[in-house]
Amino acid sequence: MSSQIPSFFSNDIVLHVEGIRKVYPNGVIANDNVTLSVLKGEIHAILGENGAGKTTLVNIIAGCIKPDAGEIYVNGKKVKIDNPRTAIKLGIGVVHQHFILIPTLTVIENIALSLNNSGFRLNLSKVKERIIQLSNLLNLKIDFNTKVEELPVGLKQKVEILRVLCQNANILILDEPTSVLTPIEVEEFFRILRNLKEKGCSIILITHKVKEALSISDRITIMRKGRIIKTLTPKETNEEELSLLIIGEKQNSESISFTNENNNTKKILLSVNNLNVRGDRGELSVKNVSFSLYSGEILGIAGIAGNGQKELVEALTGLRKPESGTIIIMDENVVNKKPKFLIKKGMAYIPEDRIGRGVVLTMSLAENAILKRFEESPFSNKTIMNKNSIMNYAHELIKKFGIIAPNPNIEVSNLSGGNIQRLIVARELSYNAKILIAENPTAGLDVRATDFTHRIFLDLKSKGVGILLISADLDELLKLSDRILVMYNGKIMKEFNRNEYDIYKIAKLMLGIEVN
Amino acid sequence: MIELIISLISITLQTSAPLLLASIGECIVERGGILNLGIEGAMLIGAFTGFISAYFTKNLLIGILASIIGGIAIVLFFGFLVIEMNLDQVISALAINLLSYGICIYFFRIIFSQGSLPYISELLSPIPIPILSEIPIIGMILFNQTIFVYIALISIPIAYYLIFKTRYGLSLRATGENPSIAYRLGVNVSKVRYIALIIEGIFVGIAGGTFCLSMFNVFDVRITAAKGFMAVSIVILGRWNPIGVFGGALLFGFAEALSLWIGTLIIGPISASISQLLSILPYVVTIIALLIGGRKAKGPASLGAPFSRE
Repeated sequence: MSSQIPSFFSNDIVLHVEGIRKVYPNGVIANDNVTLSVLKGEIHAILGENGAGKTTLVNIIAGCIKPDAGEIYVNGKKVKIDNPRTAIKLGIGVVHQHFILIPTLTVIENIALSLNNSGFRLNLSKVKERIIQLSNLLNLKIDFNTKVEELPVGLKQKVEILRVLCQNANILILDEPTSVLTPIEVEEFFRILRNLKEKGCSIILITHKVKEALSISDRITIMRKGRIIKTLTPKETNEEELSLLIIGEKQNSESISFTNENNNTKKILLSVNNLNVRGDRGELSVKNVSFSLYSGEILGIAGIAGNGQKELVEALTGLRKPESGTIIIMDENVVNKKPKFLIKKGMAYIPEDRIGRGVVLTMSLAENAILKRFEESPFSNKTIMNKNSIMNYAHELIKKFGIIAPNPNIEVSNLSGGNIQRLIVARELSYNAKILIAENPTAGLDVRATDFTHRIFLDLKSKGVGILLISADLDELLKLSDRILVMYNGKIMKEFNRNEYDIYKIAKLMLGIEVN
Repeated sequence: MIELIISLISITLQTSAPLLLASIGECIVERGGILNLGIEGAMLIGAFTGFISAYFTKNLLIGILASIIGGIAIVLFFGFLVIEMNLDQVISALAINLLSYGICIYFFRIIFSQGSLPYISELLSPIPIPILSEIPIIGMILFNQTIFVYIALISIPIAYYLIFKTRYGLSLRATGENPSIAYRLGVNVSKVRYIALIIEGIFVGIAGGTFCLSMFNVFDVRITAAKGFMAVSIVILGRWNPIGVFGGALLFGFAEALSLWIGTLIIGPISASISQLLSILPYVVTIIALLIGGRKAKGPASLGAPFSRE
């Protein structure tokens, strides 16, 4: 397993990867000659766009993916990490972008699962002792016998970090950890990271947010298209330079201009009155919610995930029956109507769960593009599909929306997250919808794809479409919305007009703290 | 009358034993995310190997041992198909069932000449447990049974402890919920599943053995009579919990015992046709029970789903 320490190694290097290369079966070169060192007690940010190969690198170090070439050294010793168990034993703890928690098990059980204790009997009380000891470090005060599925996202993440700490990891790898947190939570999260750093942990922070990398890390490594571009310290660089290094070319710098036309011709497209909706476990998740959406406006709904947004969206899109209340679209109560009816009525929907609800992964790009319109001509004549017109249409969408795909026949499972989102946006906008419901439309997207989505929203707005934007990203809401409703615990806490925006007031309301 | 009822309950335990053993085994593998519908064939193999060995050695204990080995072998072969070869679990199970049927017919004909009906001269007799069997009523019912009934009853707490109180059980449950997450958490998914399959092989093998070593003294390929598939239903009814499975097995065993019991009560020219009619009772109960109790059953989230490491 181990070999001689290469001479150039200093004792401070806890993790060193050398010449890592990974080519996926579909020909994508995810990692190309990646060499990187992580020092003891540093926070090392790896910065890059979606698809830059950051997550692949993480998965290789975590033992989830086998590299085609390259070597890994931990504490100066060459190691072979061919499964996650080995990584855990070596003290490498990974918090993946998609949490690796079993929802039906309790917090203690989840953590016990990953610990390398020997013994036949399951000794949960011993695990609990250790959890309680370490949980103070994270300021985590919950009942550890709760099932993980009952925890909100922010707490799930803390449980993940707690798990990694319980494994006695001294190299922590965090993949896009802040994407699920509110600004206030991010501050606390960074405090925890600094705390861990002082205790001697080395932290690798994978992110695509330049500001974050600058504010927390000791060193920053830029990745682009599978390669390491440069390693810098925050002192010797700035936001602009980093952005440029990430993109690799001068970015189209014209920023989005926000226009707030106040024409009086606005009409109500959607009006929700005293809506109550129950969640999966029968609890009242949306409580007496009322609001109206006007044509040509973007109405933002701010809130931490799990405060009723999901149930609200499901009720609006006909996926969940409301308990009571009315949903009126253009003078018609659509409660209990099926999604198909709502689509005909002009409702478009960009779901948060792109993979699960947005596309059918095993179908082709072209087929996904016409999913909502396959019954219409020219795509079909009621029974037989018209392949030519479908293909032409798909080609058109690929061009117009800049979807990167070799041809329309490609299975959607081969597309990257950003391209899948472009495809969904393309499909949803293709039938001249009047109302667009967008749920975290830019979550996990890189700068370019985010910018693209924002431009499209503003364009739609100027064409008179009413957009309901549900987002966990407060910056996005502040940038795009004409009005913001803050949702907490199923209720609308307050409405803000654009001239009243105050990030701290909104953030506090999101956490349920009343403000005057 | 009291004696009749005691005998009905006693028969219920006997008819429940193979169902209980098989469904406890199936419960354990399903907790690990593998749906083994090949359990019917595995049970048949267990019955066959048990019968052959007992026939030639004239030793019933060797028969039980052979049932266990036969059960493990065929279940492990199923495991090889679905874990190593990553084949579809339902299709592999179908192949296993057909294969088992074929193996039994083929070797039975090769080993025994046509026309003769081989039989085991002596079946396993009940083992009364000293003192306990003297207790009135309960002693007769619970402590004067064959070794199979005892093993079946003991398998319940063993399985419960294994699933909920051991480190292995935790890995097993995690694997059944989401094998790729369990893998990332350091669980050796293949090993966990192979162990579950071996345990199932033991239980299902013994279940097969009950038919030829304690109930009938002959072998026939129809001897398992879809009891393996019933075991799969019992696991659903029992909500993947050994205690629930016990209840389910008792219900099905009772249906069978009832049909046997009523059959013995009726005398006269129509008795044969009535007892034939009654013999469909367990299968009717299966359908009704699944319609009522299987409705909201929610098993391990990844039950039957394929898993590969990358």
